[in-house]
Amino acid sequence: MANAPHALEIKDLHKTFVEPAVDGLSLTITAGEFYALLGPNGAGKTTTLRMVAGLLNKDAGNIKVCGIDAGLEPIAAKQVMAWVPDEPLIYDKLTPMEYLAFVAGLWGMNADVAKLKAVKLLTQFGLGAHADERCQGFSKGMRQKVALAGALIHDPKLIILDEPLTGLDAGSARQVKSVLRNLVSQGVTVIMTTHILEVAERMADRIGVIAKGRLIAQGTLQELRETSGDTGKSLEDIFLEIVKDSSEESATRLEQGEEANAA
Amino acid sequence: MIPTASLSWFAGHEFTLAWRDWVTLMSGGRKLRDRAILIGMGVFALAMHGFAYFVLKGTFASLQGIDVGLLVMISASLILTFTMMLSQAMEQITRAFYSRDDLDLILSSPAPAQDLFTVRIVMMALTTALMSALMVAPFINVAVALGGVQWLAGYGVVIAVSGVATGVAVLLTLLLFHSVGAKRTRLIAQIMAAIVGASFIIGLQVVAIVSYGSISRFSVINSDALSTSAPAVESLWWLPAHAATGNLSALFISMLVAGLFFAVATRAGANAFQKTVLEALSVSVDKVSQTSAKSPFQIRSKHSALMHKELMLLSRDPWLVSQTLMQILYLIPPALLLWVKYGETASLSVILAPVIVMAVGQLAGGLAWLTISGEDAPDLVATAPVRPIALLGAKVSAVLVLVMTLVTPLVFGIALMSVWGAAMTFLGALLAASCAILIQLWFRAQSKRSNFRRRQVASKASTFCEAFASISCALTAAVAAMGSFAVVVPALLVVLVMGIAWLLSPR
Repeated sequence: MANAPHALEIKDLHKTFVEPAVDGLSLTITAGEFYALLGPNGAGKTTTLRMVAGLLNKDAGNIKVCGIDAGLEPIAAKQVMAWVPDEPLIYDKLTPMEYLAFVAGLWGMNADVAKLKAVKLLTQFGLGAHADERCQGFSKGMRQKVALAGALIHDPKLIILDEPLTGLDAGSARQVKSVLRNLVSQGVTVIMTTHILEVAERMADRIGVIAKGRLIAQGTLQELRETSGDTGKSLEDIFLEIVKDSSEESATRLEQGEEANAA
Repeated sequence: MIPTASLSWFAGHEFTLAWRDWVTLMSGGRKLRDRAILIGMGVFALAMHGFAYFVLKGTFASLQGIDVGLLVMISASLILTFTMMLSQAMEQITRAFYSRDDLDLILSSPAPAQDLFTVRIVMMALTTALMSALMVAPFINVAVALGGVQWLAGYGVVIAVSGVATGVAVLLTLLLFHSVGAKRTRLIAQIMAAIVGASFIIGLQVVAIVSYGSISRFSVINSDALSTSAPAVESLWWLPAHAATGNLSALFISMLVAGLFFAVATRAGANAFQKTVLEALSVSVDKVSQTSAKSPFQIRSKHSALMHKELMLLSRDPWLVSQTLMQILYLIPPALLLWVKYGETASLSVILAPVIVMAVGQLAGGLAWLTISGEDAPDLVATAPVRPIALLGAKVSAVLVLVMTLVTPLVFGIALMSVWGAAMTFLGALLAASCAILIQLWFRAQSKRSNFRRRQVASKASTFCEAFASISCALTAAVAAMGSFAVVVPALLVVLVMGIAWLLSPR
């Protein structure tokens, strides 16, 4: 994969709200990869991905999506990318078909192609029978699937999903995972944040761990196991260890800083 | 084991929620310290007391005792307070039925739901009384200062009126549930609340204009015709008014009757609440099928896809449209005043132009908020490969298309009488719509469409700017329709208002 094109390149990304949320993060994801981004609450995962999706301005750093500089050519970058937030924000007063027609219009798709794709996606997600019902009565799982169909209708090269499995029942979660796996097999890059470590363990080609706005570990599951020194460890054990080490390290750094200040 | 919630504990919880809701209402959602809120309240109270003194000074100076004129004035004020309280209580009850906020928690807790709902209704009555007391208290205090402590009885009457208003609101909403069903009650109750709130003021103004050629409601209240045709001072009709003047037996009877009525209504409401709430909450999961002969997939540009979406969302939300159109109700009195005052001297186009322009300004402001700030899928729109300026352009076009669709038939009607007047009305409407849209653009803040009614609270500056811009555009249209060169003056006023709006807008 060393010479494969990059779906996402992030260099020295910074974002500060009151405190630094993303602090010099660099990350490269190869095209066709399934990448899971893990981290404790408030680690900076969503902030990072929102900056990639163009929903948040960065303070410093570079973001390239499929070789396109997202800062210089935001429209071109958005054209090849899809974003699925953790809370499925869709229009209550539109039907799934109308919602997909709207998304297709925004991405400038051919109407006939979009219609065929919409029918296929809704059937695939088990929403065929609800295609002409307004979304206002839909469960969270159904809304999530509509949002996901919206993300897939315009054939993005990079899909970013923020906690896509939260609130889904077992059947729906399996459907979504199967769709994502198929996409990766077709060469689409998937980046996903999740707190369900088993999903990352089973699905991801590579896993990145963020803490305090920095990438503190990255690699395949095997590589992470080797780094931890125990090849039999589960991802959960490795993750907790890495995050704990990172907090202890920062606590030590803080103490050293305080001591230096006192001196 | 911790015992299940006591009524006093739940009342405390409700009070905390009501206080925070009120603070949000007053602060427009901004984080203000309690001290800042208290200072703001103090300044407001002082200004209101000054206003009350200005209004009541003359009345108390010429007061010879309790006569029919005084009773008419007090009764009219009480009816006005009652309509405002009824409107507010209906609003609160509808929200309590349909908002899911904590109903799941309450209904699934082991605490008896009936008791909790009783507390909730009592709290609604108290908040309604408190909100109205904010407006009424300065008048009572000034009356005490000018006429003596017996006027303190006014506070008792406010509580009694609030009990009756809340009771009526509870019964009316339950009646709606039984007659039109849970699905339609929300819309009808909210429209009723808005109409009730506006009806008495508008009604009085309409009568004042038609009878006395003045927009002031005091023209009717202080008229000789009303004083002579009103019942005698001893009549039972004046019981609440007598109570407000400090007549203790009238106060006792008023409070007793109001208290009994409120108790009965609360009991009935609390009993029916659980069943009604369950019905109301089930409305949100009802399926609404949307079958159309036209496929939603059509060859569209990004611009028209956005416009189509905006128009479709607006057409499918009768509640939002009704709330927007409701603002136009307040234009009936000024329209009527213009007609009564100038109907014989000025041409009809000169009278209609400002009214239409004003209505367009108000309507465009509401619609512009819905399309520009009220975006329910902000992430989708922001991640779409569309330039932000093109996004805004599509939203603005949707508003203009809607407003102009409504205005064009009216303009054609005016053109039958005066082509010049019609042209000026059209241009004025376009100007008013543009000003309203610009103000919404300058003050835009992302929000859910369901927060529409709170938009005026979120930015009082934009609300005032919108109102002044509409008024100055209406003035410009009227003077332009007359064909006078003096149009430059109101046109400059428009520029001034928009300049101030720009300066006040957040950067």
